[in-house]
Amino acid sequence: MLKTGVVQVIARGTDVAFVIDENAPFDVVAGELLDYLSKQSGLWSKGDITINVGQRMLDRDELAQIKSIIEANSGLTITRFWCSPESLGSGDLQIEAKPAKATAPPKSAPSRAKQPVAPPVAHNEVAIPEPASNTATESLSAVESIIESLKAKHNKNGARNRNITEALFIKSTFRSGESLHHHGDVVVLADVNPGAEIRADGDIVVLGSLKGFVHAGASGDNKAVIIALELPSARFQIGKYHGVAPTSARHKPKSSATGPQIAYVRSRSIHVAPFAGRFARYNKGVPYEG
Amino acid sequence: MKGRTIVITSGKGGVGKTTATANIGTGLAMRGHRVVVVDTDIGLRNLDVIMGLENRIVYDLVNVIEGDCKLNQAMIADKHDYELYLIPAAQTRDKNSISPEQLREMCEELEKEFDYVLIDCPAGIEQGFKNATAAAQEAIIVTTPEVSAIRDADRVIGLLESSGLHRPKLIINRIAYEMVKHGDMMDQKDVESLLAVEVIGLVPADEHTVVAANRGIPVVHNSKSAAGGAFLRIAARVDGEEVPLMDLEPKTGLFSRFKGLVGMSGRAYSHA
Repeated sequence: MLKTGVVQVIARGTDVAFVIDENAPFDVVAGELLDYLSKQSGLWSKGDITINVGQRMLDRDELAQIKSIIEANSGLTITRFWCSPESLGSGDLQIEAKPAKATAPPKSAPSRAKQPVAPPVAHNEVAIPEPASNTATESLSAVESIIESLKAKHNKNGARNRNITEALFIKSTFRSGESLHHHGDVVVLADVNPGAEIRADGDIVVLGSLKGFVHAGASGDNKAVIIALELPSARFQIGKYHGVAPTSARHKPKSSATGPQIAYVRSRSIHVAPFAGRFARYNKGVPYEG
Repeated sequence: MKGRTIVITSGKGGVGKTTATANIGTGLAMRGHRVVVVDTDIGLRNLDVIMGLENRIVYDLVNVIEGDCKLNQAMIADKHDYELYLIPAAQTRDKNSISPEQLREMCEELEKEFDYVLIDCPAGIEQGFKNATAAAQEAIIVTTPEVSAIRDADRVIGLLESSGLHRPKLIINRIAYEMVKHGDMMDQKDVESLLAVEVIGLVPADEHTVVAANRGIPVVHNSKSAAGGAFLRIAARVDGEEVPLMDLEPKTGLFSRFKGLVGMSGRAYSHA
């Protein structure tokens, strides 16, 4: 590992990652990056890389600067930008507001800028349509197009929003009349009582008895699931599908004897089965009337 | 020493808030404390009737808050020989006549002089509820073992917790032992597990309660009644004494069994 202060270079096998100090201001990062690359100029040969800006919020100018610095000082070509949905979500709003200049606002959450050579394939990864050129103005427009396409992809599919926020933990009984909408997974460490209402863009896990109304995948993700230690709730929703507990005795889930239950969507209706792991194959479940 | 202000609330009407207030207040007074009970059910006052003080009302809560009279002019002394006072609600006004801040101020005054300030909260979760709960540091929820009352209690507990009144205590009122035994009524454990709050008392269904209310003498004065005993124990628990919750099973002594045989025994629930 080479240490150059703000910019560190980590090599793992054939993968090389630039790790940039989370809290350093952008101009320092740019300076250090330039410094490092010019010192080590012989180290790089031609190749395509991806920039992972992590949770750092960068505006259009800054992305273009990073691109030009790296491309001018090494033989590398930046083909992709990768960023966490969080920095994209608020970051590109920032760009819309102040297109000309301004630095990224300091973020209280830990932020990080990375540049892995072989990044993991992530859902919000976007390939540059054309190989970018070296001049700053042209790369600027390339960056713009990346951001635009990222944004479009991001907004097009609501299910992609699932990872925007972390899971929310509710540590006390969720009572009648209480209502919540969270853009992520929700974990309740107690009961959800009748008359309570939880909507989550992700999964809902209740470590107690779920008697209220819950809606998992509220932004349209039909793959979301509801897991509860007891599931006496008569009605819930996953994505766009409604589930109403069957009234006929034949289908009636054996309540307490079965233990934890999972509700999921299978062939356009909600089914409930004894829980056997989040990614287990669930074939036989009690179908709920939609 | 500064007194404690406790609100007695339920959400649903008719579950026994006023009865509980009168009886816990009387019970605490019997234990030698200085107690004042405040009826905040403006427009639908009842506490004065339960305590048998309706004929003595001159000034009321709204008069105090609007400055028409002094605080102690509106305080009606109980008929019995205890340090127990009632501040009645106004009957001709409505809940918007007072604000939460005004009631809070008044209770702070009362806390200087009394050990316990009990607030009888109106049913519902509107202005009257907001007034009553704003003034209190502690809350007692009254419910009956019926789904509707429990649902409302659940809502109220949520509202109390969100307004900073944490860990309310629960009284389960009107438990009919025979019905619980036959599975026709929820038992204490069902209610407790649903509401997930500490139970401070179980009050059996008891005809004596109704008779006492009609006579204007709270049932705690009746040493023979099961409900009276239950309210005395609740008062002791409010006071910080460790009194275990008792089973609702009726006495099965030889004499009562004999009475049962010859048809004399009515509803002889003993402990709660």
